[in-house]
Amino acid sequence: MSNSHLFLKSCFPRAPLNNGIGRYVCQLQRVTLKFCKNNGSSKGMREFIENNLVDFAKENPGVVVYVKPRRHRTPVLVGEYLNGGREWLNCRNSTKEDILKWIELLKTQNGPSSTMRLRKMWHTDVPSIQGAWTPFMLRSPEMNLVTFPSEEYSTPLDIEQSATEKLLELYKEEKQT
Amino acid sequence: MAFLARNLVALTRQARLLDNLTHSMRCLSVTPQFCQQPKLELPTTADLQEVSKEEQKECQKIFDKVNQQLAKKEEGRLFAVVHLCGKQFKITPGDIILVEGYWPPTIGDEIRLEKVMLAGAKDFTLIGAPLLEPGLVDVKATIIEKTLTHTKTHFKKKRRKQYLRINFQRSPNTMIRINSIEVKQQVDKPSPSPINENRIF
Repeated sequence: MSNSHLFLKSCFPRAPLNNGIGRYVCQLQRVTLKFCKNNGSSKGMREFIENNLVDFAKENPGVVVYVKPRRHRTPVLVGEYLNGGREWLNCRNSTKEDILKWIELLKTQNGPSSTMRLRKMWHTDVPSIQGAWTPFMLRSPEMNLVTFPSEEYSTPLDIEQSATEKLLELYKEEKQT
Repeated sequence: MAFLARNLVALTRQARLLDNLTHSMRCLSVTPQFCQQPKLELPTTADLQEVSKEEQKECQKIFDKVNQQLAKKEEGRLFAVVHLCGKQFKITPGDIILVEGYWPPTIGDEIRLEKVMLAGAKDFTLIGAPLLEPGLVDVKATIIEKTLTHTKTHFKKKRRKQYLRINFQRSPNTMIRINSIEVKQQVDKPSPSPINENRIF
């Protein structure tokens, strides 16, 4: 990622109005489709209105759909959200399938998304339940009486026997027998 | 998290303990007294059996305590570590997590996260090896948003080679709200029938 995104406005993941805690509420309130009746750049939009728009409106009764013919203008898709956000999409020369995908995207998001860079992939109101970890957590109380630096506690727990030590041990054993 | 990991390491170091663990069950609360000693001293073989019996008793005591707490619903807020789409998330009810990349569930779907690796409350922790028993912990979640990230620029350039590419891309993101985390069964008794029969892992 290039550094240009550092100047993009950043935010942390949030959901508007505690969405999803009790039930899910679709955040998209209004979709406006603007298109031209003659121009070729609106062809996909016209096909979309003929074939898919009624199904979309039936599937999503919570979303108001406006269709506005605008003479000699590029086709445009505008979504308006419950939190007041507004997303504007240019649909010049896009096909019926493209527009269906974009309108699905407008439906599934909570507000305009393209202007924000997410800083975290996680949000919580309760960061710790068992308490934050400290180096003294779950240590035995005898550690209170030790004076540091101490030889005993500054060696690692799992030092393996070196080859030299092993040989010396073998040698000693042999000597004893 | 770190102290849990440390305890787990301490557990795995003591071979006899691990043996005991695998015999009893796959998950265990990790704050018993005998785990807290930083130094390991190996007992002689004579009193090893006695020690292991004592440990088993101790384990049983801990299980009973946890079960009592769960039965009285005094455990308070639970947290869990779940494995989702190749990433691990530490979650508690009310959290929001994000899945990056293509993921089929759509908005409004209520799902159960079944790869629970760890669950805990204020006083106890259940640790899976690597996953907890199926049906022991029930984590429910709702999908609240499916969107695209901001436009990311992929800028490639090779010097003195007349090569320069600028690509733009936006990848899908899914936002999930965690609704509830519940311990469904007694901790030391794995259930005969899991919640979901189709679970494959």
